[in-house]
Amino acid sequence: MSESGNRVLEHKENILKTTSSMNKNTQAQFNLSISNGVTINYRSNQLENIEHHNDTSLTVTVYNDFKKGSASTNNLSFDSIKQTLDKATNIAINTQKDNCQGLPRESFTTCESQDIGIYYPKQFEIDEATELTKICESAGFEYDKRISNSEGSSYSQSNSECLILNSQGMYGHFKSTDYSLSCVMLAGDNQAMERDYWYSSTRKHENLESPQEIGKKASSRAISRLNAKTISSRVCPIIFPAEVATSFFNNFLSAINGHAIYKKSSFLLDKLGSEIFPEFITIREDPSIVEGMGTRPFDSDGVLTERKNIINKGILETYLLDTYSARKLNLNCTGNGVLTNILVESSEEQTDNLINLVDEGVIITEMMGSGANLLTGDYSRGAFGYYFKDGQIKYPVTGITVASNLTQMFKNILHVGKDYDIRGNIRTGSILIDKVTIGGT
Amino acid sequence: MITKIKNILSEHDLTDDKLSKLLSVSCPKGIDFSDIYFEYSASESWSIEDGIVKNGTSIIDSGVGIRSITADKTGFAYSNTFEFSDLRRAAQMSRSIAPFNGEKEFKPGSDIDYKKLYEAGSPLDRIDDLKKVIFLKEMDDYIRSKNSDVEQVIINLAASHTSMFVVNSDGERASDERPLVRFNVMVIIKKGDRRERGSAGGGGRFYYDQIFDQNFSRKFADEAVRQARVNLEAINSKAGSITVVLGPGWPGVLLHEAIGHGLEGDFNRKQTSAYSGCVGQKVASSDCTIVDDGTLSNRRGSLSIDDEASPTECTTLIENGILKGYMQDKLNARLMSTKSTGNGRRESYAHLPMPRMTNTFMMPGAFEPSEIISSVKNGIYAANFSGGQVDITNGQFVFTASEAYLIEDGKVTKPIKGMTLIGNGPDVLKKVSMVGNDLKLDDGVGTCGKDGQSVPVGVGQPTLKIDEITVGGTEV
Repeated sequence: MSESGNRVLEHKENILKTTSSMNKNTQAQFNLSISNGVTINYRSNQLENIEHHNDTSLTVTVYNDFKKGSASTNNLSFDSIKQTLDKATNIAINTQKDNCQGLPRESFTTCESQDIGIYYPKQFEIDEATELTKICESAGFEYDKRISNSEGSSYSQSNSECLILNSQGMYGHFKSTDYSLSCVMLAGDNQAMERDYWYSSTRKHENLESPQEIGKKASSRAISRLNAKTISSRVCPIIFPAEVATSFFNNFLSAINGHAIYKKSSFLLDKLGSEIFPEFITIREDPSIVEGMGTRPFDSDGVLTERKNIINKGILETYLLDTYSARKLNLNCTGNGVLTNILVESSEEQTDNLINLVDEGVIITEMMGSGANLLTGDYSRGAFGYYFKDGQIKYPVTGITVASNLTQMFKNILHVGKDYDIRGNIRTGSILIDKVTIGGT
Repeated sequence: MITKIKNILSEHDLTDDKLSKLLSVSCPKGIDFSDIYFEYSASESWSIEDGIVKNGTSIIDSGVGIRSITADKTGFAYSNTFEFSDLRRAAQMSRSIAPFNGEKEFKPGSDIDYKKLYEAGSPLDRIDDLKKVIFLKEMDDYIRSKNSDVEQVIINLAASHTSMFVVNSDGERASDERPLVRFNVMVIIKKGDRRERGSAGGGGRFYYDQIFDQNFSRKFADEAVRQARVNLEAINSKAGSITVVLGPGWPGVLLHEAIGHGLEGDFNRKQTSAYSGCVGQKVASSDCTIVDDGTLSNRRGSLSIDDEASPTECTTLIENGILKGYMQDKLNARLMSTKSTGNGRRESYAHLPMPRMTNTFMMPGAFEPSEIISSVKNGIYAANFSGGQVDITNGQFVFTASEAYLIEDGKVTKPIKGMTLIGNGPDVLKKVSMVGNDLKLDDGVGTCGKDGQSVPVGVGQPTLKIDEITVGGTEV
């Protein structure tokens, strides 16, 4: 679990050496990622799996007279890097000219190495990790008699390094760590069995949620799913809890990605400056949050990431543009060859009890299938959830679909709760959306 | 043995004796089973967009995965270098799942015999890169010249060639070379303010020649355009419970989700599947016979031999509605006192094998497809799907139609959009009331994800009628 910084410097030397024989008109970019870690799974009161991970990937992108080629390898010997560069160069002989191709021309990284608050390495201790997962699964089993089985508790930790170099002298490097602890519990018997999970995911081992809490939450979620009914089809308000709302906002972020826009494959085409969300919603990007799961100093082309408003008081202020899509659209690059931390904010007073805000509706705790069409905004997905009325959860509902159009769903958001989920790069509270079609019996 | 792996072994002086020595490290006393999996994989993709072949990508990935099993516990480590010292270190990490009680000795294994289902060569090197670029240009021209209203055309061409070699502590060894090619077309057509997409594609375990045959590729190009045009006319669908007729071929993804995953050995050994302990029971209507067949020549989901050195088989999962058996890999078969069915697959050397599907499909029934449609007074005809998902524990599955129509008075009428089907596997299969005589397998573009691992698969089915299932839509 300790890849030394010196290894990366050695790779850097090798890479630079390969470029010495490169044609003058050729530009090259090298993206290297190295990660190693361990995942263990503890199930039915014993350690079930230990998996040691150790991954390397070097991608070489070559631009020759506006023609592009790329090649990857997992072998970092000098010969292999040279062969990969040659392969990319050969591909670029056959691809076609596109004036928007090429290395970034401005605001790229030249940092040797920097501490951005996402690297907290820790020696892997098998006994400690086993103990964590054991406590987690036991807490799950002890939670309730109706817990009948388990898919186990998993712990994983990994160290990653990311290096970028290009033939114009760009150099960037950063390290990060990831820790996670999860638990999957089953409730009920063969006649009606339900499964649910909970997890914690952090940059720092010490910040993981307590194993007892994770086990209990997994069990409580599995039990609350038992005896689900279907409901009749209707149009009603729905609540996406924070962890489901993240994937909902992800649809929005995909639809304003520069690649979707220049390909004209987004329902948010030509919507810059338009009102997409209600006025009380602002969506920001902040690439430099300490311990943030999306924190990154530069994007996949080495362009510096930037803090900005994406939605300001409901209005779309920018697309998410990398070097290529920005040139295609004749706009400025926003450093969005990656998506960093996204914060969904509300200017209204936020509550954590959204079911009190409307008479009745459905809390959607799980979405299934891939029914969000980003070209048209049509939205139709399978769901599991809980019917609520008069401020109380009445019963679990299964076998339902949720359908609407994303354009309307964005406008129909009534409230953003204050129960923020920070386990991923999109940070949002639960959201309440009016007038969504539930398909049932 | 195959050239690529042979070269790697000899370059690193990995003789039979050294391999046996490695097994002694990964499979000491106290470990029941161990295998060492070598892999060298080369893949590439080419794409055209905006009428320009913008990029080509080549990926080389190679390494060795070592696994040690004791009872139901598994240790696993891998190396992307082939030095003996690195492999020994991986073997030590792998065996750490159990306490070390002294070494066992191994002799070189013997090769497992199997039937080859596809050519061994690499699709990548058999044709000049320039020809791949010209093919994409020609396909793009073909679509644009025939359809002036096409706004975007994206065509992808991809191929891979994987060489594998596995040796295990049971004295078995096997190697295989696996070609795979795939071709996809996506078009966007604009009409007034509305934009819709259509896509189609095909592929399998063969070379580019087949794709470059215009009769093969133009069919998919025309199909993508046709689908986009249908979607431009599609109206909002109604939500609720209704009779649905599924078209032949790719809609078999329903079987993959609704029942396939639930019959994988690992879930049943752990008793976490809705089908756990159901062998011999009636789980579907008597019209349903479903198999998983990895032995079909040149199919995307086929394998001559699986990643654990077990030749693939045609496994009957459900026969006339009765559950016959599960799909097994070595670990789960041993723990359930049965034999591997040749379904032990892994995404790569860096992933653990699991029971996975190959080509899963329903056998044909007696009805003409037209008879099935005309038997429905009021319902939906789902001609094609984009994909699906299942919760194997409660059996709940979902999938999304990319092309669907209303059935009114026994006739297919208006196209409908944005439709999701949701149902319960055990429940829905009991509601299959008519099965067509038109079994069709998909065109070879399916990829299945499980536990973060992707593998190529095939699906198929004849036209079939489900009496009642919940469909999503925006109208109530």
